[in-house]
Amino acid sequence: MFSRTTACRGAQQAARSQAVRPAQRRGLASPASGSFQYQSGEAKGVKFASRDFAGPTTTLALVSKAGTRFQPLPGLTEGLQNFAFRSTDRRSTLRIVRESELLGAELTAYHTRENLVLQAKFLRDDLPYFVELFGEVAASTKFQPHVYTEEVLPLIHFAHKRFLASPTDMAIQSAHALAFHRGLGTPTASASTTPYTKYLDAELIEEFSKHAFAKPNFAVVANGAEHNDLSKWVNEFFDDVPSQAGSANSAGTQQTKYYGGEERIAHDRSNAMVIAFPGSSSFTGQSYKPEIAVLGSLLGGQSNIKWSPGFSLLGNAKATPGTKVNTTSAIYSDAGLLYTTITGQAESVAQTAKTAVELIKKIASGDVSTEEISKAKAAAKFKELENGQDVKAGLILTGNGLFSDNKAYQIDEVAQKIDSVTDEAVKSAAKSLLETKATVSSVGDLFVLPYASELGLNV
Amino acid sequence: MSSPSLASYIVKRPWLHRFMKPLANWYGNAAGYRQLGLKADDLLPEENDTVLLALKRLPPNEAYDRVFRLRRALQHSMQHNLLPKNEWTTPEQDTPYLSSIIKEIEKEMAEREDLEALVIQKRTKNASQ
Repeated sequence: MFSRTTACRGAQQAARSQAVRPAQRRGLASPASGSFQYQSGEAKGVKFASRDFAGPTTTLALVSKAGTRFQPLPGLTEGLQNFAFRSTDRRSTLRIVRESELLGAELTAYHTRENLVLQAKFLRDDLPYFVELFGEVAASTKFQPHVYTEEVLPLIHFAHKRFLASPTDMAIQSAHALAFHRGLGTPTASASTTPYTKYLDAELIEEFSKHAFAKPNFAVVANGAEHNDLSKWVNEFFDDVPSQAGSANSAGTQQTKYYGGEERIAHDRSNAMVIAFPGSSSFTGQSYKPEIAVLGSLLGGQSNIKWSPGFSLLGNAKATPGTKVNTTSAIYSDAGLLYTTITGQAESVAQTAKTAVELIKKIASGDVSTEEISKAKAAAKFKELENGQDVKAGLILTGNGLFSDNKAYQIDEVAQKIDSVTDEAVKSAAKSLLETKATVSSVGDLFVLPYASELGLNV
Repeated sequence: MSSPSLASYIVKRPWLHRFMKPLANWYGNAAGYRQLGLKADDLLPEENDTVLLALKRLPPNEAYDRVFRLRRALQHSMQHNLLPKNEWTTPEQDTPYLSSIIKEIEKEMAEREDLEALVIQKRTKNASQ
């Protein structure tokens, strides 16, 4: 299946590099040295990036610009995601599964708002096999109608059921929909059965795949692979993918605009509230604001340290220890959303939501110590660098950066930006949040959960 | 399950094919199902998993047509009469719409059997680790 020479060369080179730099032999301890940097390149129009993380395994991902934001009809992204690694012109589903099992690999496909990701984790030597597999999946998956009804549709239906059962997911999706309307606001899972019963079939998914896997719309990113090897195999195996997106699909390509608003959904399972404000775009995008990440970790809510509420303002101020609070700075290629998710008992969710708004006002008025801000900066920097080490986040960010702005996501630079955030920047960011329209969405016991106006936010 | 057939053996040999073709056409017409508006694939026994799965995979319009043909044939068979001649199935209409799907399913199953019987040899490099 593989040429012996590649396998041997990898081993030889590993041996050589160890001989030269004995201090770096314990691969996992060394990344402080800037090995976060992705090397990027292009082979026959296919963009790829890699970084040679020391270690015996590789994570390879095909990141495509086909997240729910870019789907022309609802449900297409989910359909395409579930068609990944199904029968291709050369191999059947079963053969793909069995072969990767024999190689001890792990195949996954998932999607975010902006990206569809096919991912494989495997032993370093198997790189050619998986690059070939990805090329095949992208170019020659057979979109058979019976596979759609027998295998894909049930999975989409499960995702829909899971979505309905989770108030937190519903609240986050609803907040995105309020904040960005179409495009970024499109839910990542179907909120009703209409999308996949009314719009979806195998043929449409195939058409969408021609768009999603056209050369300008995807990137191959590898973690723990040698750049030259990856370059060689990408050059060889991606000949059959379309070089231009065939149909003119302009869905989701407009500059995202922030709207804001309020939505309340009754749910009898549990309670969730999301309070959101316009945030920062990704580092590779236009409106990058590092102070939003710092503000996010200053508000925080979740402790990083066991048996302690942590330093974050919300972590200390939440109503009961049982209430779960979490502030996320969600970054997308051209916009972002800073949102606080609160879940728990209805009364404590209501109380914590009030506290959250008061805290933002407090930060805006400048009533926050330098010490707390420096803690928040450290936490934000840590989170960012950890993102770099956490392969999954790094792959998506890098892939996305590659095909949207043609530069890889360099975590070291992001960390530096966070270091240079001043106290004033954080305070003025908080002030600007209060001046814009907020996004509030409540799911659960609507009798108890407060309206945005009761919290003192303008929507 | 598709019915056992010598067709591929015959088609490979042109002289035999030329000889058998009129015979086959005669047999097809004499078998009587065309006079009831059926296609040859309507007669396949369906009491097994393979054919049941193939029937599920039929596109909706073909599944509907099949049921229509079967019911019409049953009705005429009970009444002991034939369809009017212009409604008989013509040889062009007598397409293997189901056997092709059945063959695909059989291929899938055979592949599964093959993979189950696989004997694995570790690469020497991995085996030593």
